[in-house]
Amino acid sequence: MSSSRTRLTVVPTQRILVGRGLALLAALLIVAVTLAAMGRSPITLFGLVMHSTVGSRFGLEDLALFMTPLMLTGAAVWVGIRVNLWNIGAEGQFYAGATAATAVGLFTGLPPALAIPAMIVAGMAAGMAWIFVPAVARAWLGVSEIVTTLLLNFVASLLVYYLATGPWADRVTGALASTERLHVILPDIWGVVHWGFPLAVFTVVVLGVLLARSRFGYETAIAGANPEAARYAGISVAPRVLAVLLLSGGLAGLAGMVEVAGTVHRLQGGIANNYGYLGIVVALLARGSCLSLIPAALLMAFILDTGIVLQTTQISASAVLAITGLLVLAIAVGDELAAYARVKKTS
Amino acid sequence: MIELLTGLLGHAVLSGSVLALAALGEVIAERSGVTNLGVEGLMSLGAVVAVMTVAAIPHPWVGLLMAGLVGGLGAGVLALASVVLRANQVLCGVAVTFLGLGLSATIGRPVAGMPVPVIFEPVSVPMLSSIPVIGPAVFAQNILVYFIYLLLPLIVHFWLFRTRYGLDLRAVGENPAAADAVGVPVTKLRVMAVMIGGILAGFAGADLTLAVVPVWSDGMIAGRGWIAVALVIFAGYRPVWAVASGLLFGLVTAIGFMGQARGWPVAPAVLNTLPYLGTIGCIIVPILAFPRLRRAMAAPAALATPYHRTGR
Repeated sequence: MSSSRTRLTVVPTQRILVGRGLALLAALLIVAVTLAAMGRSPITLFGLVMHSTVGSRFGLEDLALFMTPLMLTGAAVWVGIRVNLWNIGAEGQFYAGATAATAVGLFTGLPPALAIPAMIVAGMAAGMAWIFVPAVARAWLGVSEIVTTLLLNFVASLLVYYLATGPWADRVTGALASTERLHVILPDIWGVVHWGFPLAVFTVVVLGVLLARSRFGYETAIAGANPEAARYAGISVAPRVLAVLLLSGGLAGLAGMVEVAGTVHRLQGGIANNYGYLGIVVALLARGSCLSLIPAALLMAFILDTGIVLQTTQISASAVLAITGLLVLAIAVGDELAAYARVKKTS
Repeated sequence: MIELLTGLLGHAVLSGSVLALAALGEVIAERSGVTNLGVEGLMSLGAVVAVMTVAAIPHPWVGLLMAGLVGGLGAGVLALASVVLRANQVLCGVAVTFLGLGLSATIGRPVAGMPVPVIFEPVSVPMLSSIPVIGPAVFAQNILVYFIYLLLPLIVHFWLFRTRYGLDLRAVGENPAAADAVGVPVTKLRVMAVMIGGILAGFAGADLTLAVVPVWSDGMIAGRGWIAVALVIFAGYRPVWAVASGLLFGLVTAIGFMGQARGWPVAPAVLNTLPYLGTIGCIIVPILAFPRLRRAMAAPAALATPYHRTGR
């Protein structure tokens, strides 16, 4: 009976994991049945996917490469959701960060020891600049940040495409689809895995500690949970809304910098590769815990990498996008269902 | 100059109709308290299904109908997850967008780039279409345009603000607990509102491929669904204003097109940013100018909040 079930306000991690496991299983079943209906053997494909992701050195390197930007965009969205602000524009801030980092890497001629810090600062500043107008509008005018941040994604994507095929296009090879290779890149540490990976892990850990322990973290948490109470306690809400959104934009910008300087090495259209949108998924998967961003990014990276493997077997990129959507939907439902528990009647 | 103006206005009316239709659907869903962030994906599905249908049965109305059906079904999936099962609305919306964009590109491969065999042909209104400038731009459009601008917004307005059903729907979006207490079926109304919104999103996709750009290509929705979601906020969740703002944004898009056609010394990619920047400007500027608008244009109180009977 439904009357004997109640919805828990705080859901234990164990229940969430079980709920998600079942949800993923259900979604994979749907995918397997669809593949079988298309005349493909799900078992062979499953074996191939396992081998090419967690079962081999190259697979693991790819997972780490995918995880790097996802941890950072996930963190960007997470710091917002933590205080009830939705930055759906991490994709755009990612582009902005990548563009600024490219500008430093191509046109300044600094030595690597100076150029890399300069690229990090430029990338973060560009991400902050990209979210500045929506952030101010949200903080002081109450304009929903969801839509304004999102619309700027399209603007950023168009401008990057314009730069990469127009004024900044590679004149050396004449490929005209991207800029020339950056003069300074993040060094590799393990195969193709570069310094961006430890940097992203470090950022997530520092962020978690800082927000849990600092005055800033405390005040923003209150301002997010109950703006009226915060005002009553003498915390002015608007500047903190601005600060959190700028932090969010800066993290997404950093993700863009790391991707262009570490993985892609040149600015090109579509470089953000949906990482900004997937950051929303990663942040929601991590729920309340900042450190959970790391396993959440791993799960998302696994899904993305699976997609790449499937593409090598003539399953299209668009089908993979649809599968990603299905998995996300299943996880969302799984999380909610996990909150319902059978309780003993006490009265 | 006259020709330019006619062209500009005509294009604005036509491309604005797609946004108006999708925004109208989103108004209905959001008035019931559900944010449907899957509009982009649903429009994409509608657009491709319309093209595939008319490729088999060369009749635009059949295409439109099928697109609406698929849009409604897709929204049904969203409603099942986010209303019946009460999962996170933002997460579900993004998932439905991925699902819709991915599925439409996958199933649409055979018809991609193929010219659409039948479209909604322009119908001239006698007398009115001979008015200079406005006549050819406004009164020589296809039949959908007349429906979208003249009939639909009035129907939705009347439904939401002049009938008992509309009052119930808005009550569910403002205070579901109170509505529930007086016996209004919260879940049922929300599911219905989301599905009607989805049908209109499907129609909007069909409008795009059967009247505005008569060809299917992957990614052709290009953020129109997201702009529609933004327009709903701009229009203060009002159906008539949502349609009017669709027209306004049609105009912004048309200016970009005009710039390309007339060879303005600005890169096309830069001109294409106009609708997005215009939308942002139009959301922020009025509130900056008239702070009082903030109250009048506020979102339904329970927007994006799942309703739990036990959590009262």
